[in-house]
Amino acid sequence: MIKLQHVNKYFYKNEAREIHALCDINLTIEDGEFTLFSGASGCGKTTLLNVIGALDTIDSGKIFFDEKEISLLSEDARTTLRLNEIGFVFQAYNLIPVLSVEENIGFVMKLRGFSDKEIKKRVLEISAMLEIDDKLKSLPNALSGGQQQRVAVARAVAAKPKIILADEPTANLDSKNSQKLMNMMRELNEKEGVSILFASHDELILNSVRRVVKLNDGVIVDD
Amino acid sequence: MFSLALKNILFYKNRSIATIVLTFISAMLFVAYVSLMDGSHKSMLENSLKIYTGAIEIYKKGYRDIGGNEYLIDDVEEISKKLLKIDGIEIFSARYETYGLLSNKEQSAASMVGGVEPDKERVLSSLSLALIEGEFLKENSKNSIYMGVELAKKLKLHVGDEVAFIGSASDNSFAADIFKVCGIFKTGLFEFDSTASFVSKNYFDKLMNSKNRASYITIKVKNLDDVQKVNSEIIKVLNRDDLESLTWKTLMDTMVEAMEVDSIFGYISLSLFLVVIFFVVMIYGFVNVSSRIKEFGILRCIGLSKSKIFLLLFYEISMLSTLAIIIVAPIASYICYHYSINPIIIDGIADMYKDYGIVSDEIPFDFNMFTILRNLAVIYLLNFLSIFYPYMYINSFKPIEASKHV
Ligand SMILES: Nc1ncnc2c1ncn2[C@@H]1O[C@H](COP(=O)(O)OP(=O)(O)OP(=O)(O)O)[C@@H](O)[C@H]1O
Ligand SMILES: [Mg+2]
Repeated sequence: MIKLQHVNKYFYKNEAREIHALCDINLTIEDGEFTLFSGASGCGKTTLLNVIGALDTIDSGKIFFDEKEISLLSEDARTTLRLNEIGFVFQAYNLIPVLSVEENIGFVMKLRGFSDKEIKKRVLEISAMLEIDDKLKSLPNALSGGQQQRVAVARAVAAKPKIILADEPTANLDSKNSQKLMNMMRELNEKEGVSILFASHDELILNSVRRVVKLNDGVIVDD
Repeated sequence: MFSLALKNILFYKNRSIATIVLTFISAMLFVAYVSLMDGSHKSMLENSLKIYTGAIEIYKKGYRDIGGNEYLIDDVEEISKKLLKIDGIEIFSARYETYGLLSNKEQSAASMVGGVEPDKERVLSSLSLALIEGEFLKENSKNSIYMGVELAKKLKLHVGDEVAFIGSASDNSFAADIFKVCGIFKTGLFEFDSTASFVSKNYFDKLMNSKNRASYITIKVKNLDDVQKVNSEIIKVLNRDDLESLTWKTLMDTMVEAMEVDSIFGYISLSLFLVVIFFVVMIYGFVNVSSRIKEFGILRCIGLSKSKIFLLLFYEISMLSTLAIIIVAPIASYICYHYSINPIIIDGIADMYKDYGIVSDEIPFDFNMFTILRNLAVIYLLNFLSIFYPYMYINSFKPIEASKHV
């Protein structure tokens, strides 16, 4: 469970161009949620995902990840939290170009110390589910955008994190591939019980999620 | 981490090759530069020393370590008779050296005053060739003195001027005389030029009561390649436990070593060189890492700790530098070795730099495996040091900022 209490986040704090990116956010995300943060461009969706994912710091308020208060953790502790509990699907895929698809998917597992055997088994399982099992030996730049996006999802999912944060996962996909991806995400959520949070203004996602949190200029306007 | 480092190296081939080439070039330059410096420095010293040091010199045991009148050779004539029988010797001569005070009306300076046999010295040493003003000593020169240019400057003396000498004679009695400067020499060896002066031994022996005595006997051999053989023969023929006969190699080594200690200039230019290399390597590493900020940012976001990132950089640089050093080691060694045997020859350089003690157009390298390995190790180490700043630089980014970096 993730809990945000009175969270405020500024950019360029105390400067003329100060931006109040998140204003007094109060939010509870239960385990197993399938939720979308929606809103116009610049409303703070990405910023919200980043602070939940311990990628960015906040200026006031509290964020609890289960019992841990993220804002009190050291940089190293937050890195460990990200590694062990969170899977990221970045808008720009952010795959590691020197590693094959197989190695990319298994990378987080490897960092977490899973055995090679376990990794292999899991990679096969996930890649079959995401229909990229025929590309395992390829390098990322030999894949199409949709395929890379699926590899990014596979990497986020493979190590069985508690929660997956997906920022604009369909931005680079056509509607057919977007639908496919959403179906698979939904399947993952239902089969494996992973919480998934999206940030997007894609209608398609809007129609598949169970909960929508609407933001406007850093404020939650609808839940 | 190791396999990721290896994959990075293989994937970014150009970058890896550039790093290897850069390490290769800096290691090569550094090793060659030091070798050239050591080599020419050594040959400069040797050449200058050869002006006065004989191919073989015979001492009474103890003279070189302790010195003083107790350790003078006191039977020059008897030894001379034996030396005359040895075939390989071209010429030999006795020298009597003492330390005394030279003074004019205003200044005094300590000097090593040598009693030498002028006619023999002309053949034996290049002392007479180092003349820059006046003339060399003659066999029957009476109170003439031939002195180093720096010593003359110190005492403000010119050819024809008079200078007072005070010292102690070979029997420890008091000795004093007035000398007249007949010539001034310059070897280029500062120490020597600022302390040495020479007087005809014939005359000096009367003053110092040193007839039939000598500090040592210096010998020129017919063929320098035979010096070891001739030396063995001398030892056999003399058959004396109280004497030692040494070749120039032994004599020179101790002197070269002693003089090298104060070659500060060399160390300064060396450290400058190192600083330049360090910055080149570091700036290159920095540019390299800067172009990878996004890559490291992604790794940090996914959950790679700072120490793992460091390990990654460390593995990469170790693999690349190790490879570069392995390639450069034999090549650099060979080059040093080759040019130590076949010195580079630059026509006219001796003329140009005569004042600095360069007496030959040959510029040899110095081949010393220890020095070469040490210098390679220095470059290797610099490579490692050079990753620290870039590493700190990438850590100054928040992971999320870094992952968006373009
Ligand atoms: N690193 C940053 N530095 C300065 N300002 C930022 C930074 N990141 C975001 N902002 C600002 O914070 C506000 C919220 O940005 P955010 O990226 O969260 O919006 P978003 O809802 O994700 O928009 P989009 O739909 O275009 O991705 C914007 O006004 C943006 O300009
Ligand atoms: Mg965004």
